[in-house]
Amino acid sequence: MNLSFYLILSALLFSLGFFTVITRKNAIGILLGIELLINAVNINFIAFAKYLGNPVGVVFVLFTIALTVAEVAIGLAIVILIFRVRKTVEADQIDWLKG
Amino acid sequence: MKIFYLEILVLALAFLIFVVDLVFKKQRANLIPWVVSVGLFFILGLSFIYKPQGSFFSGAAVSDSLALFFKKLFLMAGFISSLGVFSFAPERFSKRQMEYFFLLLVSLSGMMLVSGAKELIFLFVSFEIMSFPLYVLAGFLKKEAFSVEAALKFFLLGTVSSALILYGFSFVYGMTGSTYLDKINTAAGNLSGLFYLGISLILAGFCFKIAAVPFHMWVPDTYQGAPTPFVAFLSVAPKAAGFVVLLRLFWEGFLPAQNFWRPQMILLSALSMIVGNLLALPQKNIKRLLAYSGIAHIGYALLGLLVVTHYGISMLLFYLAIYLFANMGAFLIVELVYRTQKSDELEAYAGLAQRSPLVALCLLLFLLSLGGIPFLAGFWAKLYIFLAAAQQKLWGLVFLGAVLSVVALFYYLKIARVMYIQAPLTAERLVNNKAILISIILTVIPLLIFGLYPKPLVELVNQIARQFLP
Repeated sequence: MNLSFYLILSALLFSLGFFTVITRKNAIGILLGIELLINAVNINFIAFAKYLGNPVGVVFVLFTIALTVAEVAIGLAIVILIFRVRKTVEADQIDWLKG
Repeated sequence: MKIFYLEILVLALAFLIFVVDLVFKKQRANLIPWVVSVGLFFILGLSFIYKPQGSFFSGAAVSDSLALFFKKLFLMAGFISSLGVFSFAPERFSKRQMEYFFLLLVSLSGMMLVSGAKELIFLFVSFEIMSFPLYVLAGFLKKEAFSVEAALKFFLLGTVSSALILYGFSFVYGMTGSTYLDKINTAAGNLSGLFYLGISLILAGFCFKIAAVPFHMWVPDTYQGAPTPFVAFLSVAPKAAGFVVLLRLFWEGFLPAQNFWRPQMILLSALSMIVGNLLALPQKNIKRLLAYSGIAHIGYALLGLLVVTHYGISMLLFYLAIYLFANMGAFLIVELVYRTQKSDELEAYAGLAQRSPLVALCLLLFLLSLGGIPFLAGFWAKLYIFLAAAQQKLWGLVFLGAVLSVVALFYYLKIARVMYIQAPLTAERLVNNKAILISIILTVIPLLIFGLYPKPLVELVNQIARQFLP
């Protein structure tokens, strides 16, 4: 398979993730969008590693997976806190800070 | 391993307070801030004495004079902010103090690691070690809706920007075949297309982290909601870390492509100066005002980064050091006033000069230094940045920066007018808190000394820049 197919797939996935992050109202939905963004990056790294024939890209993906897990754990904790304080996770209602 | 001795000591301190918290259950409320402050003070002292140079992980991490300079800056910011939180912590979260300092120290160690990173994986991992604790700390007052909302906004924009950076890294890796910055540098001369897309994505991602316009939306909200002693740290140390990463990436990695990234940085710098200064004008909340003024300062600092000479780098380092002291000091005074008045609005500062003349004078000095009035250190910082830009014939940016500095004086002096001319709402004196006062004095002294006699610091940063860019 050609490298460009993988790059187009990951670009599509990245755009979808970005669209999700921007349009979703629910904080959990935004977290899912962030997952899509990171997975698009992972596809990119793996495709380049295969194409270049050097394993650094694969190593990078292992690190990103581990970091993303930690990141989502923190994100969910913050969403739970928001729900406890405000009784909502809708992003457009979380707007007390402005000016 | 010895080039990491500062990071190892900071992490050892983090685990030490873990033990202290378990063993001294009764006295821990008073003990932990002491242990952290004294520990950081000693580590800071050590960093001036023992300066190992070298590289590790086959060149992925280095300890050169640039890294050591930034490590000292981060340690100073950590020390001052741990003094600033001294009596705040027992009052607001006495049982969770250990967590606060543990996260602060882990974040500090991440910053110190990132200042020596010369390889993309190492750089990214240490940058995230720095960022994750910051998200948690922003929402540390977990019963207060403002603090948690600040954390959510900071977290969402922080993670999206991390994804942008990673996407950029993947293209840079794919096009050059390496994650080492010096190898990227040799390969970068004759590339196009996706490599340039990668550079743009990386620049956009890091502009989220250093809060340059148009990626600044999270800054005012996060500063307003997060606990103030933490904001004093957040507003300077992670910004300096972002700049050291940008220096490494764009000077050591992408320098051959400078004709591509310089115009983008010029645009970002101009936008940050304009938007930051103009949006600061109507602010009524002092934390939001300082947030927007901070965005404007990032614009000035970017000016030093995009001047592609070693003079530009040295002036960027000078600027960051001075900005660290002035901004931290201003936020610590905001905290001091908040503890008496329970308000961050400008009215709370009415007649501060009559109530606490010394604190008002210190705040005035910080504001004048941020505004760039001679003879405070901020004046030299701005002047040197403009001189460096003028050498490269960036007259438009110099003119814009100079005009906007005058605009900036308007809102800095607005606070001074409220403090000195308006009648006080209450006659109540400010809470007398020795630790915060010491930390404020520690930030005033460098501003005065380097304002009257900037030569030693200028020589130091010049030497660092010359070693960084032979």
